[in-house]
Amino acid sequence: MIDKGPPLPPDVQAILEQERPIPALTPAVRARALAAARAAVAASAVPPPARLPSPWARWAAVAALTFAAGVAVGAVAYRTHRDVPRPADVPAPVTPVAAVPAPAAAAVPSPELAVPPPDSDAPAAEDAKRKLVVPQEELRLLRQARAAVARDDFAAALPPIAEHTRRFKDGRLAEEREALRVKALAGLGRRGEARRAAAAFQTRFPRSVLLPAVRRISPGGE
Amino acid sequence: MAELRLLRSPPRPLTPDEECLEAFQRELDYIYQSLRRLGTPRSELDDLAQEVFLALRQNWIDYDRGRPLRPYLFGISFRISAASQRKRRREVAFGVVEPDDGNPGPDEVLQTKQIRGQVLAALELIPLKRRAILVMHDLDDVPARDIATALSIPLFTVYSRLRKARRELEAGLRRAKRGGGVR
Repeated sequence: MIDKGPPLPPDVQAILEQERPIPALTPAVRARALAAARAAVAASAVPPPARLPSPWARWAAVAALTFAAGVAVGAVAYRTHRDVPRPADVPAPVTPVAAVPAPAAAAVPSPELAVPPPDSDAPAAEDAKRKLVVPQEELRLLRQARAAVARDDFAAALPPIAEHTRRFKDGRLAEEREALRVKALAGLGRRGEARRAAAAFQTRFPRSVLLPAVRRISPGGE
Repeated sequence: MAELRLLRSPPRPLTPDEECLEAFQRELDYIYQSLRRLGTPRSELDDLAQEVFLALRQNWIDYDRGRPLRPYLFGISFRISAASQRKRRREVAFGVVEPDDGNPGPDEVLQTKQIRGQVLAALELIPLKRRAILVMHDLDDVPARDIATALSIPLFTVYSRLRKARRELEAGLRRAKRGGGVR
């Protein structure tokens, strides 16, 4: 038989009774905790695969692919018919170029990300386009995060930051991303994480122009 | 057609993440209060509550929905508090710990609040592993068997720690009373 010991004396029991009710949190604390929890769920959720904007766009892409495949098959058939073995002349892969959406020139923020002029020579243009895809995508994610931070919707800033980290860990905009992370975490009241992120920022970007701002946001991160 | 229009599709079942968020939201007050009772400074409550949520979410699939949630949450809170206290003790050696704000705030002038403050102060004097059992048993009314399950300890240990914790609480409260706190 287990000895359960004597119960608490009545006066101690009476005092303890005062502590028994669970006080309700203030709405601000509750909102902060829930926003942080939702952000954690959103940040770790696997992002859905990129989708074309509408069924019409999907059909257009399918049509373009079919057309490109037809052109390629036709060209190969033509060369075979001519019986001239010129493997180097196999038609250029039209598909990727057709499938890549042309970025809007107006959305390009700096000359280094600008679309090369269409009259430049083909290999250089292809190289530039390949390089261009990454900054545009990086930029899109960072814009989302920045816009969310600007409207104080810190929870909404974390998913694009997480996606950016996953896809462009050492991307060109990593510095700004990490600064935004500190601001978003601090805004959500996740001070410990903000401090750690600020410390990591300082270690990684000791000469960053954003460092004073990061220090202001999370002074403990130094 | 009219009948068809009246038919509603059944509600979409919640995803595990949504279920977990809902449970967290429902028990948020309890989680914060448990962390306070386990000695978490106010300045760390948000961070530790977030850690409780992350641990809950990580284990949500394995959580047996037939069991009461609060002891389970308390078990998580206890482990996270213990880890945090260990970390704080390490940090004290370098002098970078935040000031302890366990004292009642300036607005806590009502007698009930004073008493609550003193109960928390008396709880602070009890080592964490015994304090957790006292809080679960004497404040949350969790049966000893469920405490043993939640904290992964033998039933006998639950009772032996409870006996000792009660003596420590009584001594702490009497000391506070002698100091003129509790009337």
